[in-house]
Amino acid sequence: MKINSSVINNEAFVCVQCHYCRVCPAYSILRWESVSPRGRMYLLRGMIKEEIEPDSKAVEDFYRCTTCGACETVCQTSIPLIEVWEIARAEFVNARKAPLPVHRKLREVAEKNGNPYGERREERAKWAQGYEFKDNAEILFFAGCTASYRMMELAKNTVEFFAKTQIDFTYAKEDEHCCGSPFLRTGQRDIAYEFFRKNFEEWKKRGVETIVTTCSGCYRTIGRDYPAIAEELGYRWEFEVIHTVHLIKEMIESGKLKFEKTDETVTFHDPCHLGRHMNTYHTPREILEEMGYQIVEMEHTMENSLCCGAGGGVKSQFKDLAMNIGRKRIDEAKRTGAEMIVSACPFCKLHLIHAADKKIEVRDIVELVNERAKPLNTD
Amino acid sequence: MIEGIPFRDDFLERYLCSHDISSPPFIRRFFKIADGVFQPEREEDVLKILKLAEEKRVPVIPRGGATSGYGGVIPVKGGFVMDFARMDRFEIDEDEKILISEPGVVWWDTEKELNRKNLSLRVYPTSAPSSTVGGWIAQNGYGVGSLAFGSIAENVSKLKVVDFSGIRDTRNIYLYAGLEGTTGIITKAWIRLREFEEMKAYAFHVSPEKAVKLAYSSEHHSALFLDRNYIKMKNSVCNDQIPEKDTLVIVSGKKMDGDESLGQEIWESRFYPMKIKRLGPGIIPAEVIVPCESLPNYLNRILKYNAGNEVWFIRGKVCSVLSFLPWDERKMSYTNKLRFTFKALKIAKKMGGKTYSSGLYLSKESKNVFKNYQELLEFKKEIDPHNLLNPMKIFPSGIIPGIIRIAEVFS
Repeated sequence: MKINSSVINNEAFVCVQCHYCRVCPAYSILRWESVSPRGRMYLLRGMIKEEIEPDSKAVEDFYRCTTCGACETVCQTSIPLIEVWEIARAEFVNARKAPLPVHRKLREVAEKNGNPYGERREERAKWAQGYEFKDNAEILFFAGCTASYRMMELAKNTVEFFAKTQIDFTYAKEDEHCCGSPFLRTGQRDIAYEFFRKNFEEWKKRGVETIVTTCSGCYRTIGRDYPAIAEELGYRWEFEVIHTVHLIKEMIESGKLKFEKTDETVTFHDPCHLGRHMNTYHTPREILEEMGYQIVEMEHTMENSLCCGAGGGVKSQFKDLAMNIGRKRIDEAKRTGAEMIVSACPFCKLHLIHAADKKIEVRDIVELVNERAKPLNTD
Repeated sequence: MIEGIPFRDDFLERYLCSHDISSPPFIRRFFKIADGVFQPEREEDVLKILKLAEEKRVPVIPRGGATSGYGGVIPVKGGFVMDFARMDRFEIDEDEKILISEPGVVWWDTEKELNRKNLSLRVYPTSAPSSTVGGWIAQNGYGVGSLAFGSIAENVSKLKVVDFSGIRDTRNIYLYAGLEGTTGIITKAWIRLREFEEMKAYAFHVSPEKAVKLAYSSEHHSALFLDRNYIKMKNSVCNDQIPEKDTLVIVSGKKMDGDESLGQEIWESRFYPMKIKRLGPGIIPAEVIVPCESLPNYLNRILKYNAGNEVWFIRGKVCSVLSFLPWDERKMSYTNKLRFTFKALKIAKKMGGKTYSSGLYLSKESKNVFKNYQELLEFKKEIDPHNLLNPMKIFPSGIIPGIIRIAEVFS
């Protein structure tokens, strides 16, 4: 298999093989070199030098990475490793060595339904029954697949918070498509491009200028991948993309938001897509502190945060690995003595709930904000 | 292959566990790859693997972090790689100030835990974020703290080792430290610690001559000298703005009049000497030990190669000089440029110096590295009559020493 990417052809030789990337959550569980970022880089280098042809085992181990980016944070030679992993996966797909079976299945159901959960398209906005939305507005709420079908309370809390704070917004309901994140992470780029086109056109139709999402995966995809895809496909990208925490922070700073205070102790789990991928670490903590929460940090926090274990297609394809990583994170949270672990991503919440097995409460920051936000002009 | 011991023999894992950080351009064709990779979880597992190897007459190659570049973890003749990733437990005897560690423990993990108990390692490698306890003892390295405390071997009080005859404790550290598993496999180490002490890093823009004087001016913990070439390279890849002058950084508990801010900045980058690999991409390395009084002359003699040089001062007035010459390893000229490695060693030897380590590539240098080489050779023959413990390392045999001799001639 020939590697076409110039990024990989260069970076594979920049890698020192120093193994500082042993911080990889998958490697820390499985311990085999083939799962380590260093091992993956050496595999790519070996492929370039035609010393090794990746077999199914090699490809499978390559996909055990959650693309969390912990390796990139510690990389001695500053290799853009997240980009390398995603490009390499796309090359595996092009060479017909991937996707892996479950990832292929996700694509099939997403092609049909516009989401990877296999749920019906017409039920995408079922959570939104009882809420009213404008057809057109400058701000659009992008719910994402997980909050639409699995963690509906996050979508509900977000729109309730918007209503409470009188934010004028639109929501695309059944016309919202998956952002494409699961497919970009697993190398299936073409279907992500298709979703990009559909979402882009919908947003234009609604006169959108700013896209707000409560999902960190969607935020990363729309905020970082979409502009690059737009450029590649010749679309003019003019949207501002923010995570809900940015909007909340802005409202706090402008004095438009006050909270019922608390003094509970919580720990914050940085979603990889919000933190390492998009460099937002302090904003959610500042919001929690504004509400009065006492934050105790876990052993791995901020840029060194431990992944929840779900990303990069790992939860769907390698359930045991995902659960082992998730349990490790939950153990860290429990060791802080905090009463709950708070995150800012429905996919993290979904997975951490599974991993927590009711041993610690798992909440999303938007739920806490909505519960404690005082309606405007009543303070 | 052995019940209860994690093992893989697929091509991928064997391929990935058959190299270290070196990029040898031509002799690589003489290397086999591992027949299988074991990950022992306890010392009894190590013994079982050795017994199997003895029965099958195949080599056993211990592997820690594989962060060295002397070929020590390369299974040149095939055999079983013994990867210690799962033997990573350690305990701390606070009363005796001793770290008791399995071989797969990573140095920096211990330091973080020790600091919580107001203790600290005396010495640790500059690859501490991934280098393992077993690997660094087996290499007998110098590193951070070696100015005050010498090599790691000088700070090990006891070892547990496994060879074909069984498992035992030993205080004969010299029979194992630096021997890269050729005389027995280290499965536990008792390492002396120090009390944690707040220290500061001070930078001085001084010549190599002055650096030597300053480094040994008092009882400092560490002294690191970076020449202007190296700083220039660092600046270009890291977007740093360190003054491009010869710079000495001293880490000490004593107050000094150097630049604290710059000292701290350079000190924090001590784990990242290889950042400049991006400039190649690739590096031609040279690593030698020279007497301190010869350091200025040595640096002057290798100046024309335009390498960047990093010097660690060591107790006993010797220093370890690590030189990096960035070069694209994909180019044919990389092989030609490798002459620098041999030239630097030749210059160092003329000044009473030696290679930092011998491993596989420089096994013919072991007689210069180990004063008691003959004793070690006899011990090796007694312990490992079939030469299965990491063969071709330390004790020269096979084709590699001959190839290196030829390469030296052309340097």
